Amino acid sequence: MSVTTRSLFKSYGDLVAVNGIDLDIKPGKVFGFLGPNGAGKSTTIKMLTTLIPPTSGTIEILGVNAIKNPLEVRKKIGVVLQQPSYEPNLSVEKSLEKYGMMWDVDKKTRKQRTEELIDVFDLREIRKKKNEDLSIGQRRRVQVAREFMHEMELLFLDEPTVGLDPGARRNLLNYLKNKAKAGLTIFYTTHVLTEAEYLCDEIAVINKGKILAVDTPDQLKSTFGQEKTIKIHLLDRNDKLAQLLSGIFGCTLDFNTGTDIIIQSSKAEIVLSHVLSILIENNIAVEDLSAMPTTLEEIFLKMVRDTNESNN
Amino acid sequence: MNPTIRLVNRNLTISLNPGFLVWQVIFPIVYIFVAGFAYTALIDSVQFGEMSLDYPAFIASGMIGFNIMNSTLVSGIIIWNDRKHGMFEQILVGPFKRSHYILSNVYTIAIVGLISAALITAIGFPLFFKSVQFNLLTIPFLVFASIVGSILFGSIASIISTRLRSSEGFNVMINTVFLFFAFVSTAFYPAQGAPEPLATGFYLNPLTYLVDIIRAGIFGTFNEFVMLEMAVLVSVATILFVVAIKLLTKLDL
Repeated sequence: MSVTTRSLFKSYGDLVAVNGIDLDIKPGKVFGFLGPNGAGKSTTIKMLTTLIPPTSGTIEILGVNAIKNPLEVRKKIGVVLQQPSYEPNLSVEKSLEKYGMMWDVDKKTRKQRTEELIDVFDLREIRKKKNEDLSIGQRRRVQVAREFMHEMELLFLDEPTVGLDPGARRNLLNYLKNKAKAGLTIFYTTHVLTEAEYLCDEIAVINKGKILAVDTPDQLKSTFGQEKTIKIHLLDRNDKLAQLLSGIFGCTLDFNTGTDIIIQSSKAEIVLSHVLSILIENNIAVEDLSAMPTTLEEIFLKMVRDTNESNN
Repeated sequence: MNPTIRLVNRNLTISLNPGFLVWQVIFPIVYIFVAGFAYTALIDSVQFGEMSLDYPAFIASGMIGFNIMNSTLVSGIIIWNDRKHGMFEQILVGPFKRSHYILSNVYTIAIVGLISAALITAIGFPLFFKSVQFNLLTIPFLVFASIVGSILFGSIASIISTRLRSSEGFNVMINTVFLFFAFVSTAFYPAQGAPEPLATGFYLNPLTYLVDIIRAGIFGTFNEFVMLEMAVLVSVATILFVVAIKLLTKLDL
């Protein structure tokens, strides 16, 4: 395993930030770590990257006890923290070069990697610009690129795409996918659920310091998202339709504006055939009709909402 | 390469930018050559121990200590900059221990202090060469003053860096400290003849001890009082260094 934690716990006085987390992350996989603000994601990353010690529990990173041998762990990992980090008066290329030097990468390799990363992260035009003169997105690109100046077995990325434009975002995700294919393990946190779905082999959802679920994106969807959503957009408002549709069992109806109808059901195929029959029999004109599986985002929101409600 | 040396390399790269170097050279030159000669109309000579020094020689030797303080205060703010720009955390998730980071800052400050002292000694040498009394202790005294002074003022900057987060607060504090140390000292004028409270104030300031030791080294005026000043300077530097290290070690992430 690349990461193993058992009963990981962190508290600040009375505030419990992380409450007994167990993780098992396989090598060469992209592990998504999702949760709302204040769920405990960054605290978990800080513990896994040895920045802060846990209150209790165990952490093993790449076979090394991270609590007893933090330096050994840090030599093997790369970390892109959530907050920006940069040296304001260094140029982009100098930042990359100096970061490589800090990691004891030899001069020839540093030069070669600097050129590679400038190309991969589209930094050619700003290579001579000082970090303090860059936009937030450009600075973030440099921060992420910089981490690839050194060799590592495990990379922690805490919301790395914040501030990136869609092109740079997709570019980074593809680069990470290729790195994972080449054997790099990636621990990835994000608020953008489509990113997690695109990139991650496995996803953990955390809320209020506890892991709610860990599984592959598909498995999460099939376990927690059996409902499908049917959306109907009518040409004209039809007051009779509400009464007609209310006879269908096993679904929830939302008439919204009267011309937009949203139906949710775990037996969407059966419900859809009933709906179609009713529409045809009553000659009701439909402008648009779609049936969509539940997205990861909907599942995530539902899980977080459910735990918040049960805690309250 | 040793992790501390790699961090020193990085610290020097970010500290020794052209603006810093110009500030370190132009500012003292103006003081030495403009103020030094302009004030000769008012100050004919300054009594230093048994010697009578002309004012340019007096101020040039004082500027060595002043520049050590100035440069190490500036390089001491590396910690504050690293915290402000997220590099403190980034370094601590890299292949470094906190002790590597602390040591690298101590070394950087000492190197900057030594370079600064050497630079001003070279610039000021034509002005005080008539009075220089070279002997076996001259160089050791200058090196001692550079290292102890750097650690002392670097520790002060580090302590301020660990306590303050806001730019405004930090700038106000550094400028206040700078003004007090620079002008309530014997760097620019002698304590003899100053009003009593001010003369006492001079000796509450470590820069006074630092420039006295430097002058003792350059002009060969060693006596028991200088020895006492050396002891005081080492003691204060040690205390401040220990406090700075403790604060840095406990710095929250």
